[in-house]
Amino acid sequence: MLDLRYPIGLLLAIYGVILVLQGALVGATVLGLNVNLYWGAVMIVSGLSALLLARRGRT
Amino acid sequence: MHLAPIDILLIVIYGGFVLAIGFLLRRQMVGSAEFFMAGRSMPAWVAGLAFLSANLGAQEMIGMAASGAKYGMLTSHFYWVGAVPAMLFVGVFMMPFYYGSRARSVPEYLKLRFDEKTRGFNALTFAVMTVFSSGISMYAMGALLALLLGWNIHGSIAVSALVVLLYIALGGLTSAIYNEVLQFFLIVFGFTPVAYLGLRDAGGWQGLAARVPDTFVHAWRDLGRADANPMGIEWFGMVMGLCFVLSFGYWCTDFLVVQRAMAADSMNAARRTPLIAAWPKMVFPFLVIVPGIAALGLTLHPNAGAAPLLPTLANGTFDYNMALPLMMSRYYPAGMLGLGLTALLASFMSGMAGNVTAFNTVWTFDIYQSYLRPRESDAHYLWMGRMATVFGVLVSMATAYAAMRFNNIMDMLQLVFSFVNAPLFATFLLGMFWRRTTGHGAFWGLVSGTMAAALHYELTGVGAASLLPKIAVVHSYPSDMAQNFWGAIVAWTTCFVVTAVISLMTDAKPAGELRGLVYGLTPHDAEDEAAWYRRPHTLAGVILLCVLALNLYFW
Repeated sequence: MLDLRYPIGLLLAIYGVILVLQGALVGATVLGLNVNLYWGAVMIVSGLSALLLARRGRT
Repeated sequence: MHLAPIDILLIVIYGGFVLAIGFLLRRQMVGSAEFFMAGRSMPAWVAGLAFLSANLGAQEMIGMAASGAKYGMLTSHFYWVGAVPAMLFVGVFMMPFYYGSRARSVPEYLKLRFDEKTRGFNALTFAVMTVFSSGISMYAMGALLALLLGWNIHGSIAVSALVVLLYIALGGLTSAIYNEVLQFFLIVFGFTPVAYLGLRDAGGWQGLAARVPDTFVHAWRDLGRADANPMGIEWFGMVMGLCFVLSFGYWCTDFLVVQRAMAADSMNAARRTPLIAAWPKMVFPFLVIVPGIAALGLTLHPNAGAAPLLPTLANGTFDYNMALPLMMSRYYPAGMLGLGLTALLASFMSGMAGNVTAFNTVWTFDIYQSYLRPRESDAHYLWMGRMATVFGVLVSMATAYAAMRFNNIMDMLQLVFSFVNAPLFATFLLGMFWRRTTGHGAFWGLVSGTMAAALHYELTGVGAASLLPKIAVVHSYPSDMAQNFWGAIVAWTTCFVVTAVISLMTDAKPAGELRGLVYGLTPHDAEDEAAWYRRPHTLAGVILLCVLALNLYFW
């Protein structure tokens, strides 16, 4: 059966990359924060963690 | 609100993932057990997050943010006194019977425990209710997208219905569960920044508390009298009506959520399913209610140079249902807006998908197989499940068009739940813990409980407005909430008393037939062999302490 951690990790990582690129290239800020950049980075880390867990969990 | 190409890109990627999961799971749908029960193979964390997300439709998110703006921290009772304790109860006390009985649905459990007519009654009311909820969900989505983005409402309904139809018809319950878990992560990632930014803009919790009336930042302080708080209810109606009757009724007996736990891969996983769901449920008030309060704060006392956040409706009240979408449109730049909107779309679709999977299971097993065409091949029922999925989606679409006349979605849902679900918990409580309860008792208890709820609604009123025509108004409540909660109490009590009295007058099933279905006739499972952090009792105790602390902190 498909290990759910793969699609979760993949989706979060892809979203993270898109948001980081948007944040870095456009650089729009809200209340002084570059929300896209910071939150995109958090999503990349979360996505990669899920992928890592999926790889380690595979037997 | 204007969408940039990047926002559209994020939405399209999500749509691709959803359909890809359906296609990847298609080959595993070899029989009805796979299609309707996910082969009882879900790990506890997957079942747990799906258990939570199945209920997390977008009406829930938008409705709870709206309630936050309208009633303040009182809304937290839906979570900290309602849902979380109910989840602990179903995990610790009820799951051994649900999962242990090997029933394929909640109505089927009723058939095993009581009799055919009780199952029939529950299956029919449930089937109607789920399709109705799914239709409301669809309509709400279409209306919101039309309002926010100017999208065509008919197009939104048709596209979302098609996506849901495809991924369920392909991957069955597994597909629905996987997408619910995906949706859970999207909601967490899509809504956390708006909660943070809104609170930051309002000057933190202290700053926010200074902007709204004092009662909005207290959960319990003003519950002494109904006229002292914006919800118009006192603590007894709140605790008994909302928490004990409505929340327990929903989380402990509604097949939509229980189906997720029944799909777990072991008894221990099934019992931990609601307990795992309870953790995020405990934190969700910060994700939805607090932004709602912030929206009110930023409307009553906007920052210098900023417009009030919520628009005022023609009748002079604020447009509370717009709290969450407007917060997103104010604080999210292109990119984050796409993510937030995807989270919203995801919760719309998986809310719909949850209803459709529960519907196709109950229809196929409890109505079609039981009454219309018994003794067909397994392949036939698998085919029927796919047909029921198509049928369910079509009826939902029809309901969506009929649902357009109600404005406060959450109150409407509560009204439906109070008629159908409120008496149910009395039936299950008696059925699971009192072996003397009989089928006749259960059936007539349910019927009279539902009728009592309807009668209570017909005889009481809230101001002049009413969703349905009334026979006569003999009592007037200060708010819709108060009317719903007291209606639930009336229905539950009626069902409890009628069930008990009729049970004592009729013959009980012999003890041999109730093994595995009733407390006291079911051997305890080997819980003590699991590691301490996997034992349901230990987990439930820890969660209970945390939720107690939250209630005290926001007293």
